[in-house]
Amino acid sequence: MSISARHGARQARRGPAEPHAAYARPRTGLPSPVLGGIAATALATLLLPLVLDRGGLALYIDIALSACVVVGISLLMGFAGQVSLGQAVFFAIGGYTAAVLVLNDVPPLVGLLAAPVAAGLVALLLGVPLLRLHGHHLAFATIAVHLIFLVVVQQSDTLGGNVGLMGIPGFSVGGIDLADHRSIAFVSWGVLAVVVLVSHNVITSRPGRALRALATSETAAESAGIPVGRYKLTVFALSAAFAGLAGSVWAYYVGFLSPGMFPVSMSITFVVMAAVGGMGSIWGALFGTTAVKLIVSYLGMLGTAGGMPDYAPAVLSYAVYGLLLILILLFLPHGVVPALRDRIVRRWSAPPRTPLDTAGRDPGKAGLPPANGRP
Amino acid sequence: MLHVAGLTRSFGGVYAVRDVALDVADGETRGVIGPNGAGKSTLFNLISGHLPPERGRVELAGDRIDRLPPHRRAKRGVSIVFQSARIFRHMTVRENVMVGAHLRARSGFPSAVLRLPSHFAAERTIRALAEEALDRVGLLEWADSDAESLPLGQQRAMQVARAVCADPRLLLLDEPASGLRAQERERLARVIEELKSTGVTTMLIEHDVAFVSRLADRVTVMDLGRVIAAGAPDDVRSDPKVITAYLGSEEP
Ligand SMILES: Nc1ncnc2c1ncn2[C@@H]1O[C@H](COP(=O)(O)OP(=O)(O)OP(=O)(O)O)[C@@H](O)[C@H]1O
Ligand SMILES: [Mg+2]
Repeated sequence: MSISARHGARQARRGPAEPHAAYARPRTGLPSPVLGGIAATALATLLLPLVLDRGGLALYIDIALSACVVVGISLLMGFAGQVSLGQAVFFAIGGYTAAVLVLNDVPPLVGLLAAPVAAGLVALLLGVPLLRLHGHHLAFATIAVHLIFLVVVQQSDTLGGNVGLMGIPGFSVGGIDLADHRSIAFVSWGVLAVVVLVSHNVITSRPGRALRALATSETAAESAGIPVGRYKLTVFALSAAFAGLAGSVWAYYVGFLSPGMFPVSMSITFVVMAAVGGMGSIWGALFGTTAVKLIVSYLGMLGTAGGMPDYAPAVLSYAVYGLLLILILLFLPHGVVPALRDRIVRRWSAPPRTPLDTAGRDPGKAGLPPANGRP
Repeated sequence: MLHVAGLTRSFGGVYAVRDVALDVADGETRGVIGPNGAGKSTLFNLISGHLPPERGRVELAGDRIDRLPPHRRAKRGVSIVFQSARIFRHMTVRENVMVGAHLRARSGFPSAVLRLPSHFAAERTIRALAEEALDRVGLLEWADSDAESLPLGQQRAMQVARAVCADPRLLLLDEPASGLRAQERERLARVIEELKSTGVTTMLIEHDVAFVSRLADRVTVMDLGRVIAAGAPDDVRSDPKVITAYLGSEEP
């Protein structure tokens, strides 16, 4: 007897599952005030470029493009349980792909679309050997990839070697020039919106459930028929594509690229932002990026303000920044957003039905998968 | 349904499963008993593919599956409930069980990202199947609870629901009744009987011989990695080799 025929018989005999009171509860677990808040934030950030000055726009673009990379890292680390300390490589690959294409008279929009494809393909190739590694072995391997990438770029004449690529044309679509700061800010917002939407759609779906499952137990996920290796590779490629997309906009924005613009510390900073916000959470990634970028920018301003001693910039941008990070990770090990969300969900929605007392639960166990969501 | 021959696996030079041969008929419920460390769980992991064998073959409905990775065996209809709890963390009970129905619908990354009709169809199917399975094991009212917050007994029931949800041809249950209260054991027994009536082949590891005797058509007894006896539950229980194995293993 075939499997489906057997199941059909079972269905007919038992009838459909009974309707249940909890049936219609949405999965997000977020109360409507929070959803409203999200919509308001989206609108406010969309209008922000209209009022920002040049410096503000630069920070805005930096945050939006970095957030694209960080959302990808958050997916990768939160769901596939994989650490990548080489994510700036994909950012750079996106940038170089777009730059080389437009410098050869390809329309900038084509360059923008080719960038995530190129970064994703490189990730697929690298991922096959890399994703066999776990934990800090993988972290070291991705740093090695980053260093190798820099050497390759420095030796490549096509990519401009150590000097880099100059005179990259600004962004434009069908003859409409979008190269000024304000337009690029809107483009960055749009690119981030696409990244967030794609991530959200992936997480809340059949493959997304599979990813969340394998974050806890690859063994149990496999026994449910999930091709764990292929799924991990897909998230890796997806996270690289996000970074590549952001990198191409960055290339149009700054107009030149050189290997010195992509130090290993850039990759590490991306991971720090994801950790501060909370792994495996889109909003965590957005929050973490914004928070870290604003803090760094504020400390930079403070350090160079009049009346500050000579050593102020160094102290503020390293010591104070480092201290803040340590404090956040010490007291909110799962990141800021999962901790906040837990508190909000607990306060706003009726306590979920559990056979045990929910209030007595260990708060450290709630929230999203930790960085290494392995058993 | 299942044909196992010469199956062998050792850990650090010690055989956990040694030259095991057994045949399980289509629709049969097979009990597997044996003292602690007899190799029962290892046998299941060799069948489900979570451990590679050193020697031997495993055939499911005539097809050789011992070289396939676990997810391909799941696709062929092998479902396993592990001895140790494997709860997907930060997911509700319903979501945990929905993962079990992964293979019952088609919708990959592209259709999820683009929200194609196949995505919504898959979600509906998977959700309905999960709820049917939850209802069957009596967990429907806990569907929205955090899976980790369930008591142990209900966590086991949830894992049975997850495995059942895949509509398996061969269901491997590794001590599913351990930690269950009398009432919960009774419910589990009824679920297993019901699955049998729909034609599912089941293998059941269980220390409670009365529980196994009630459900199993035949019982396989393992000791020190080998099959030492097989037959109808009553015959096996009076087999002198079985009695020695159990008594021997219980001596200090
Ligand atoms: N991953 C492993 N690494 C090393 N040794 C193992 C491993 N898995 C099992 N063993 C050993 O293999 C033998 C058989 O173990 P197995 O878990 O299959 O026994 P079991 O019959 O399921 O016992 P129990 O009734 O306690 O569950 C034991 O001696 C055990 O220590
Ligand atoms: Mg065992």
